[in-house]
Amino acid sequence: MDIALTFAEWLLPLMYMALVIDYGVTFFLRVRAHACNRALPLIILFHAAFLALRGVRLGHPPLFNGFDVLSVIALSTTAVYYAVERVGKDRRTGLFVFLIVFLAQYTSSVFLSHAAGEGEVWQVAEEGWRSVHSVVATFAYTSLALAGVYGALHLVGRRNLKRHNIGLLFDRLPPLEVLGRACWYAILAGLVFMTVSVATGVLMAFWTTHTGPMPLKIIAKIVIGSITWVICASAVAGKSLGKWNDSRVAVVAAGGFLMVAILLVASLALS
Amino acid sequence: MNITAIGISHHTAAVGVREAFSLPGDLAGRLLRALKNDGVLQEALVLDTCNRTEVYFVCAKCDDPLGYLLGHIARLKGMADISDTSAFYVHRGIAAVTHVFRVAAGLESQIVGEHQILGQLKAAYRLACEVGTTHFFMNKLLHWAFRVGKRAQNETELGRGSASVAQAAVELAQQVFSTLEGKSVMLVGAGETGALAAKALVRCGTGNVIVANRNIDRARTVAEGLRTLNPQEAEALGLEDAVNRCPALRKLMEESPLQQSVSFDSQAITLEQVPDFVGGVDLIICATGAPDMVLTGERITKSLAKSNRSVLIVDIAVPRDADPKLDRLPNVFLYNIDDLDQLVARNIASRQLEVPRVEAIIADELSSFRSWYDSLQVTPTIKLLRKHFSEIQAAEIKQQANRFRQTDQEQLEQFTRSLCNKILHRPIAFLRSLSEETSISDRQAAVDMIRKAFGLDGPEDRQ
Repeated sequence: MDIALTFAEWLLPLMYMALVIDYGVTFFLRVRAHACNRALPLIILFHAAFLALRGVRLGHPPLFNGFDVLSVIALSTTAVYYAVERVGKDRRTGLFVFLIVFLAQYTSSVFLSHAAGEGEVWQVAEEGWRSVHSVVATFAYTSLALAGVYGALHLVGRRNLKRHNIGLLFDRLPPLEVLGRACWYAILAGLVFMTVSVATGVLMAFWTTHTGPMPLKIIAKIVIGSITWVICASAVAGKSLGKWNDSRVAVVAAGGFLMVAILLVASLALS
Repeated sequence: MNITAIGISHHTAAVGVREAFSLPGDLAGRLLRALKNDGVLQEALVLDTCNRTEVYFVCAKCDDPLGYLLGHIARLKGMADISDTSAFYVHRGIAAVTHVFRVAAGLESQIVGEHQILGQLKAAYRLACEVGTTHFFMNKLLHWAFRVGKRAQNETELGRGSASVAQAAVELAQQVFSTLEGKSVMLVGAGETGALAAKALVRCGTGNVIVANRNIDRARTVAEGLRTLNPQEAEALGLEDAVNRCPALRKLMEESPLQQSVSFDSQAITLEQVPDFVGGVDLIICATGAPDMVLTGERITKSLAKSNRSVLIVDIAVPRDADPKLDRLPNVFLYNIDDLDQLVARNIASRQLEVPRVEAIIADELSSFRSWYDSLQVTPTIKLLRKHFSEIQAAEIKQQANRFRQTDQEQLEQFTRSLCNKILHRPIAFLRSLSEETSISDRQAAVDMIRKAFGLDGPEDRQ
């Protein structure tokens, strides 16, 4: 089993690298822009099988180590993107999504073997509630990541149109409205997932009896989760109540994602 | 190959010369009927567009096909004998096939890559079918050419991007909006190009059109005129290109063809009313002949700024109608005629870069076509038929070998060989009977039928 896990651990970044190249070809050469990628479901299945196998090996869901979480984020981003691609029949943004997915999985694969010791596993949960909390939080971060990517692309596309820069991006990016809508849906999903995650977290805090000071990792998680919720909620409220336009939502999504990503990396480094 | 292509096009002659030989209206049909009645040509097709008049035909023994065809055209158009034939080109055999493939792919068009030509080729083929001048070879050739045209459209970027100012306005709108369906358009002024751009947008599904003009009656007339599109306007717009690239538009166009009258809400207003309406539109096309700016001033700026939607302003008027300061508003995208010209020039240049890819497709299809044509010879087909049955016989003997004693094996082989020869006797006799007197088309059709019936072509060769 260990050999299979190690093999899969190194194969996954290569697979995502292949996807980056494939989507890069679509983006730069403008081929197969509206065709669905048939390899994606296979890669999703392979990745899910890897995580399941790793869960069996560890004896608990592979969610409680920072680098495991990165791998889960890579998988959930791929899965969410696959759904978006199937519905939208547009794969021109895949390059940007899979660049992030590749980086997440590569970082995970490089450090996973060094962080796999039982002592380093986050002692978050053996309970079902906590698993739900973690899974939903992962989906929330994934949604924010996608909102950030679509938001950034929206801003780049908008800047190009404003500057009358009729170049590479003018031809290759989907219409501004499509990017704005994708960003909006992603941030809406992020708010829903993060609200559920925060709610389950608060319930757990009530039910758990703490002895001694709260661990730094948990504090970091609470802070980052709260920031993520505020980002998503402000964008949703702004659009719904304050009548923000797509560009303003895109700024919040892209900026928010950048901030949360930096905080996540910093908290991982500190822990 | 007995196919010949004779024609005149924008490459070889100026419009004045082309006009003299063009076959508009029912002249193409009359020419085909005359050729059919003559009985000299076995198959024929006439392609007549703004930029070319071409005749494709199959003829086994034609000494002077150009003189023969020009004689017919001269009689048809009441012209004197045509002595100067320098503007005409003649392609024979595989060169003629190459030419029709290039025409279908849009490589021979004035604006390289325009897709209109494929529709025109299909119309020419329909006419020839109606008159009854296409048979086996021409049917095969034209369907092959249609496939080349479709491959050029689908597998390359040859026809991508606008090649006119009106098209560029649609292309810009498609960069901003996910769909033009339901969007509001304001046409400021009643200029011809502006109206053409508005017609293009209307045919992409925009829901509401406001026409603003100094004269309200003129505005009403223009608004009404947007509902219809004549063939010249459709061609100028090259709308098929945009439609081909967008599945949603394609569906829409199937329901409402280009030249069919379209319905939408329209409103005519005066220029003074523009500030009251400008905040509720998504697209503004400015095309007045006014010496001063029309889209300017505090009221306009405030209305646009208050609008929560992205607004694309396409100003194709010279002097300009829209105040450049409007571009500073975050939700406004302002493009003038120079920007659009730049977009068109860039698209035309990038189409040229796709030519080698299309030529590779043509080379690929030509190779397949030549293989198919070579397969239509009688002797190789007889040989292939015998080989095919010999292989079946050998395979069956091998499969059944264990059921027979060693001493019976020879008899089994003799029996099966004799059976195969008896089955083959009639088809081979039939193929040999296809003499030189039989028309080429009939002979090729018969050979093709035999090959298909006995499965002599590999799956990849079957068209």
